[in-house]
Amino acid sequence: MAENKEFWRWTEYSWRDENKDWRGAAIITAGIDVGSVSSQAVIMADGELYAFNNTRTGSNSPDSANKAIEGALAGTGLTLENINFIVGTGYGRVNVPFAHKAVTEIACHARGANFMGGSEIRTILDMGGQDCKAIHCDEKGKVTNFKMNDKCAAGTGRGMEVMADLLEVPITEVGDLSFQVEEEPPPVSSTCVVFAKSEAMALLRDGWKKEKVLAAYCSAMAHRVSSLLDSVGVQEKFFITGGIAKNRGVVERLEKELGVKAVKTKIDSQIAGALGAALFAKTLFEKQQAKSVA
Amino acid sequence: MFEKFFEWYEKRHDYARDWMAKTGGDVVGCFCSYAPEEIIYAAGLLPVRMLGSHEPQDVTEPHIFGMFCPFCRDVLAQGLKGRYDYMKGIMIAQSCLHIRQSFTSWKKHVPIDYAYYLYMPNKVQTEHARPYLKSEFEKFRKSLEEWRGKEITDQALRESAELHNENRRLLHAVYELRKGPNPAITGLEAMVMVASSFFVDKKDHNAELNRILPQLKDRQLGRETGARLMIVGSEDDDTDFVRMVESVGATIVVDEHCTGTRYFWNLTQYQNGDILQDLANRYIDRPPCPTKDWEERQRFPHILQLAKDYKADGVILIQQKFCDPHECDIPPLKEYLNANGFPTLFLEFDVTVPLGPMRIRVEAFLEMVGEEELF
Repeated sequence: MAENKEFWRWTEYSWRDENKDWRGAAIITAGIDVGSVSSQAVIMADGELYAFNNTRTGSNSPDSANKAIEGALAGTGLTLENINFIVGTGYGRVNVPFAHKAVTEIACHARGANFMGGSEIRTILDMGGQDCKAIHCDEKGKVTNFKMNDKCAAGTGRGMEVMADLLEVPITEVGDLSFQVEEEPPPVSSTCVVFAKSEAMALLRDGWKKEKVLAAYCSAMAHRVSSLLDSVGVQEKFFITGGIAKNRGVVERLEKELGVKAVKTKIDSQIAGALGAALFAKTLFEKQQAKSVA
Repeated sequence: MFEKFFEWYEKRHDYARDWMAKTGGDVVGCFCSYAPEEIIYAAGLLPVRMLGSHEPQDVTEPHIFGMFCPFCRDVLAQGLKGRYDYMKGIMIAQSCLHIRQSFTSWKKHVPIDYAYYLYMPNKVQTEHARPYLKSEFEKFRKSLEEWRGKEITDQALRESAELHNENRRLLHAVYELRKGPNPAITGLEAMVMVASSFFVDKKDHNAELNRILPQLKDRQLGRETGARLMIVGSEDDDTDFVRMVESVGATIVVDEHCTGTRYFWNLTQYQNGDILQDLANRYIDRPPCPTKDWEERQRFPHILQLAKDYKADGVILIQQKFCDPHECDIPPLKEYLNANGFPTLFLEFDVTVPLGPMRIRVEAFLEMVGEEELF
């Protein structure tokens, strides 16, 4: 029963491209993104997405990294030994035991967004579990400027999870439900997770429907991240990575506030960091090979 | 090679007490790098600039606003906790309101014999500032003479000015060795070297600088230089931060801090046969603190020149939280440096800084300014 009450709980899952066979690939690389809330492992064959796993980060970074890579490897016939180069990224990037190198998630998200959204992407908003980053990049996906949120985790994924739990709405339904309101309510005044939760409780007591509370919270979150984006400026094309990118309640309100549409892709936005790491792994491996030949 | 500077930096109070025992003189605490140390020293006193200890504290709340900068609160805490209980006098040369609040609270709540407020003009970009500051220096000189019961002769002022100039020349000589592809010293060593000169008799500091200089010329650090960074901001002696930056693939090659180059960059020019006027001119002409950098912003081209001379790959702009003068400068400074090809990273400092979150920002910045190894 307890499990059913965890409305925040998103599905951990693995994906694999059934049409590809890694055995024919010259270079196999992986990227592991150990974030504050979720961890991903991405495996690429010759620079193309082959398999990934998306899981919840536990109390121990190496364990989370292992869990993610095992999930991605499962059913592929691949083992760690088959992977030529592995890059770790994210909050736990230095604690990925099998990684050859650590790269920051800022660089990896830019590179991942460049792959997912194309070389015309210039601004990336990463809405992660406990932090937010506004990033500018060039046509190669190289960071040219960035700004991270400083003070607290307001406006991040964890805050949305807390709200989903309070309102007993499955996290994946938050976005759709937040639009089932007759008119857009004013945003909750605070995006501090704890204060916003108290404020949401007060609104429920006042008789607000949960859809309206969700709308007010999504709107507050959109407003919060748009001020972060304002500090670097939004240059098109614009792309959103991280779990919140899957929440149209925040995304569409943010697009409206910015007056800019975000480029969408079918690839899970949560794997952007790990994907960027796997792409860096390929470049690093090729450079290593070139050096050893020379 | 820099052990002595680290020892002075870490045991600044022991040094001051030993100095008093050895010379029979007294120590005067200074609240800002605009304090005319030459005059204090010429009175047979040891001028010591008071810096914080980078420890959390709970003693300043009744005396100073929480939205005053962390540095001025940290400094006041040192006085309230009795860390400077050997100190007989304090003085401030006006720069900003926050540090002035530390001075006035200290005067009120910490036992001392002597406190002097020097009206250092903020509008240094007017010719009136020169005679004005000279007359303020004259008053300060008289005040010290009355307190000590001893005349401060022109000869003593000249000798003191020269001793301080010598210190500045030597610091310049060491900084010069940071310009090459393999800097002879780290940013951490440079920071401690300059900060310790605030605490130590310049005779001792000069002797140590003279001792290490010949050895420095051929010194190999045995570490990768990595990205060459400049660090710019207000007061900064956060050695933990610099150590972290230099542990992730970078070397700080130059700074623009009042605990760094702004303190020692320009020398007293002997022009008038009037030593007090010469000294006043030195403080008027020094690289300005933002409180004094108007109407023309003269500090910006100076910063750009340093970045070019020391071949910086990027610039870290640090701000003591709530330091309004610096905060006002940072947006145009960032724009100015970016437009001139120098990427910037802005970081906000407190009494202690969270090294983990700072590290991710610094590492991402290094990936941004660094070689294209990832592409």
